[in-house]
Amino acid sequence: MLQSLQLVQPKTVAEASGALADLGEKAKIYAGGAELLLLFRNGLLDAEILVDVKRIERLHRITSGDGMLRIGACVTHHALEKSDLVRAHAPALAYAESQVANVRVRNQGTLGGNLAFNDPHSDPGTVLLVHDAAVTIGNKNGERRMALKDFFVDMYATALEPGDVLMEIEVPQLPAGMKSVYQRLHRYQRPTLGVAAGVCKAEGVIADLRLAVGCAGPKAERLNELETTMKGAAFADAGKIVAQAKNYLRDRLRPVDDLLGSADYKLYMAGVMLAAAIEEAGREKNGSGA
Amino acid sequence: MAAELRSTFNLSLAVNGAAWSGEIPIEETLLELLRNRLHLTGTKRSCESEVCGACTVLVDGRPVSACSYLAFEAHEKSVRTVEGVARGDQLDPLQEAFIRNIGAQCGYCTPGQIMAAKALLMENPDPTREQIAEWLSGNICRCGAYGAIAQSILEAAQEYRK
Repeated sequence: MLQSLQLVQPKTVAEASGALADLGEKAKIYAGGAELLLLFRNGLLDAEILVDVKRIERLHRITSGDGMLRIGACVTHHALEKSDLVRAHAPALAYAESQVANVRVRNQGTLGGNLAFNDPHSDPGTVLLVHDAAVTIGNKNGERRMALKDFFVDMYATALEPGDVLMEIEVPQLPAGMKSVYQRLHRYQRPTLGVAAGVCKAEGVIADLRLAVGCAGPKAERLNELETTMKGAAFADAGKIVAQAKNYLRDRLRPVDDLLGSADYKLYMAGVMLAAAIEEAGREKNGSGA
Repeated sequence: MAAELRSTFNLSLAVNGAAWSGEIPIEETLLELLRNRLHLTGTKRSCESEVCGACTVLVDGRPVSACSYLAFEAHEKSVRTVEGVARGDQLDPLQEAFIRNIGAQCGYCTPGQIMAAKALLMENPDPTREQIAEWLSGNICRCGAYGAIAQSILEAAQEYRK
């Protein structure tokens, strides 16, 4: 049995933010419950009031325009997996969404809930980093926008302040000619490791590159320095350069031992999967990573 | 603050085609509603963490973990449990195929397996064995009857396509 709960169902972000401010720490945002109810059940989070943000209509939209895909925070993983807009604009994201946990969790869990929870073993954030995604956050005083890489602060920690509501995820189009893929290593439902790569290949050379790794350490990370090193290199040398970057990967990813694998294993596999993801993204014909 | 704070919810929903309404606590899960109030005990409680699939039911045709789905979320929706799969005495092709193939050993996971499979066949009545394995990866059979479960779903799919 779950602890006694009360419910408030605001219709606007301002109302939700007002409720959070008035009710204080005993109130938590409820955006699907796929993660939140597990925390309650395991006694990891104390809360008395659910602020159900799913009645806020604008948090359910998926739109695109001017090269930008906009995803409301309460859109479910299943809706993203099946969305034609997402498949056209960011196929690697649609693929990553299709891999989240299981079909039941995908029906219930939302992208906003997933990002705000910032579990280290998660899929969508890694792909979104390669897309240079940003988030819009609302509160009583208005809205602000920040890069997703700054939103992810640490394990289970984000830049959300008390009274903040994560509203929207903005996914810019990749640069012309860049293809992105997501690859996932898993033995259980949560990924052991997730790797995303965006590659723009021209005449056998890596013209542009974006890389991200999730699940190894406290949070998903872009690999900016490795990207810079690899730009201009021969596509055929990609695997060799990644293999030489082990120390950099260890410093950047800060891998930890956990139930899904040792730090050494995750570091080793990050190298293997980065090389494989670059190879897949740079292939002449490539798809969603599926 | 404009939005009202409440401790109970006046829930109205349909379960296996029958209307039900009543006042429930906010924290009541759909699993508790089904088992304790409606005495529909086919839906099983097991891992209580959305991993094993024993509590799988359909809400508006889509599978959810009833253990971790607050009952108020089903307001004005249609819930289907394993008790509502047969039409009277006529078993669903999935149930017939599970019996024919011995798609269960202890049987504890079976209601969840059947509900998950039902959702799959409603969405895709012609799944490959790989698609079945992928879809049911979240429904654990600790006896290991997976081969017979997959075969049952493949056979039932033929009936669904008729």
